Amino acid sequence: MRRLVASAALFLAALSLPAAAGPVPDDVGVNIADGFARPAATAFMAATGRMRADLEALCAAPDAAALAGARAGFAGLVSAWGGLSVLRFGPLPAENRFERVFFWPDTRGVIVRQVQALLAEEDETVLDAAALAGKSVAVQGLPALEYLLHGAGAETLAAAEGGHRCRYGLAIAGNVERIAGDVQAEWAAGAAFHDAFADPRPGHELYRSPKEVAAEAVKAMATTVQFVRNAELLPALGDSVDAARGKRAPLWRSDLTFALVRAQIYAVAGLADASGFAADEAVRRPVETLRLDLVNAGDALGKVAKPAEAAFADPADRDRIRYAALALDTANKTLGGALSAALGLTMGFNALDGD
Amino acid sequence: MRSTAIDRRTFLTLAGAAALAPGAAVAPCAAVAGEEALFIGARLNGGAFEAAVIDAAGRDRLVLPLEARGHSFALDPARGRAVAFARSPGRFAVAFALDGRAEPVAIAAEAGRHFFGHGVFTPDGRLMLATENDYEAGHGVTGVYDVAAGFRRIGEFTTGGVGPHEAILMGDGRTLCIANGGIQTHPDFERVKLNLATMEPSIAYLDVATGDIVEKVGLARALHKLSIRHMALDAAGHVWFGCQYEGDPADRPPLVGRHRRGREIELFAGPEGLLRALDNYVGSVAIDGAGAVLATSSPHGGVIAFWDTATGRSLGSRPLADGCGVAPAGPARHLATSGRGAIVETGPASSRVVVAEGDGLPAWDNHLRRI
Repeated sequence: MRRLVASAALFLAALSLPAAAGPVPDDVGVNIADGFARPAATAFMAATGRMRADLEALCAAPDAAALAGARAGFAGLVSAWGGLSVLRFGPLPAENRFERVFFWPDTRGVIVRQVQALLAEEDETVLDAAALAGKSVAVQGLPALEYLLHGAGAETLAAAEGGHRCRYGLAIAGNVERIAGDVQAEWAAGAAFHDAFADPRPGHELYRSPKEVAAEAVKAMATTVQFVRNAELLPALGDSVDAARGKRAPLWRSDLTFALVRAQIYAVAGLADASGFAADEAVRRPVETLRLDLVNAGDALGKVAKPAEAAFADPADRDRIRYAALALDTANKTLGGALSAALGLTMGFNALDGD
Repeated sequence: MRSTAIDRRTFLTLAGAAALAPGAAVAPCAAVAGEEALFIGARLNGGAFEAAVIDAAGRDRLVLPLEARGHSFALDPARGRAVAFARSPGRFAVAFALDGRAEPVAIAAEAGRHFFGHGVFTPDGRLMLATENDYEAGHGVTGVYDVAAGFRRIGEFTTGGVGPHEAILMGDGRTLCIANGGIQTHPDFERVKLNLATMEPSIAYLDVATGDIVEKVGLARALHKLSIRHMALDAAGHVWFGCQYEGDPADRPPLVGRHRRGREIELFAGPEGLLRALDNYVGSVAIDGAGAVLATSSPHGGVIAFWDTATGRSLGSRPLADGCGVAPAGPARHLATSGRGAIVETGPASSRVVVAEGDGLPAWDNHLRRI
């Protein structure tokens, strides 16, 4: 409801402005920075803080209830990450932050191998968030934390014997909280990246026009939609029931696969809303088409009945996932086609996806 | 032997090509390299992917349908042959006669391998070498194909790195120079880059006779996200390369470099503003007909930049929206193509539109090669 009010206000504000020279709103940068990026970064920051507090409680007094609390905290953290992960430009991809938070896909099983080794050795150097930051990206982010909370041996967390495992998880939470803080700081008003993005000008280094900012946002939306469909859903779905491999999906151990994916899909819609693109008459239609496909995809995945590990091989759930994949494909085509064209963006064949 | 492994769609596409051969799509008098300048590129034409041989006026001389998006080519002009490769992570390649007179031959990727889109013939025409991904192991290989045996794959050599992209043959005819881009991918996840945090791009020299890596050079640690991707040889026999940067977009490192055997890599930044224009991305490189001018295209920036290969000095740039394909057209001249259908004859001194961009024209893909 609040979002609805906010976007209506935005719409009215846009109407009252003098007509812009082109279809890209002059304030697209500030719209996205303040209407999407900052709230997403703040929400992720808050979720990392809750995760750390949950794990502190678990480590201090391990029992089944505290473990359940930590797992709930992790679910909240994953949803918040889904919202932030759309921002594939600026502070998030810088300094390997994206991979440090969410190293995935892990085609060679590095995460489980390395995390298991650290647990077996009771490695003390992973108990400090700052030291952990210097280690492999495979052992310091959410997939590693998921393994600690839901993988083999996770039940030990509910007792004293899981002490090392718990404190390692706490260090991951601390590491991710620091990364969240860095991202939040760079998206804050007055920070170099925020201002470059919110106020593009000729002569600036990063963005020289609202159009360049709009292109960055559309590219990030398209990348997210493609990633969700091609990397997160289709490899697990396979061509047939026999080829389905639920364990290829992200976060299947915690059954948060669809929570993650849906958060990402809705975040793309949220980014499109925040941009103010729809203020232009000619752009409104493709934005609405995009929005409809994204919502349909997200809603279909919300109806998946089985846990992620089994859902990809379940006929009814497969239909839902296939439907979502189809809607995402359409959304991707809208982004690269009708929406880009309406915005006057020149996303060419080569520039969009070179090699 | 190989027919059993070929993708059904490749067969159907090729069957279509054969049927078209006597008709308009394949000009009967096309395309063996003689005095006339001919070029070849992959493109998307009215929703269909194809490889096309064109002349310097941009006229089609031979069109070969492809089952999916193509990338670059291995060329054997002396024998009138070429191989079109699928774009990564594709699994098909097609060998065909440049005059369109012989039936195309499908080459399927080996199990557990896919093509990266580039390859070469050895000067004797006996072997064809292709950059490929051993994706379960996560490292690059050079597939070795026996041309006379119908392009049977007879083995592979390691490239000494991850994600090899373009490979070129050195002047000695037996040393293959490979750009190990450093980016790990797995076909299950399409083109998702799996190891940006730990990339280690390199240039490796492989002795084709033995499979030994005889020299390998890398970049400074601070530039480990600078993916070395495309290469060309200058008149002095030195390797020039173009890079794509996977790090912070604000960094703007040099994207163009030279390697002379036995030395360190040299990088050239050009004047202020050029790196911004190239936008951390060089899509294709080519040396001019005299071996003295390097062209580097950036479809991201919509420019083609030129460089003096004797000194590494920038010779300026020319705009070309979504321009990527570049090939030598003469001394200090290049032919360049764009994703919007444009073909320009360009160079440091001037630029001339051969075909103006326009809706409905074939969209030229990343690479244009001189036959």
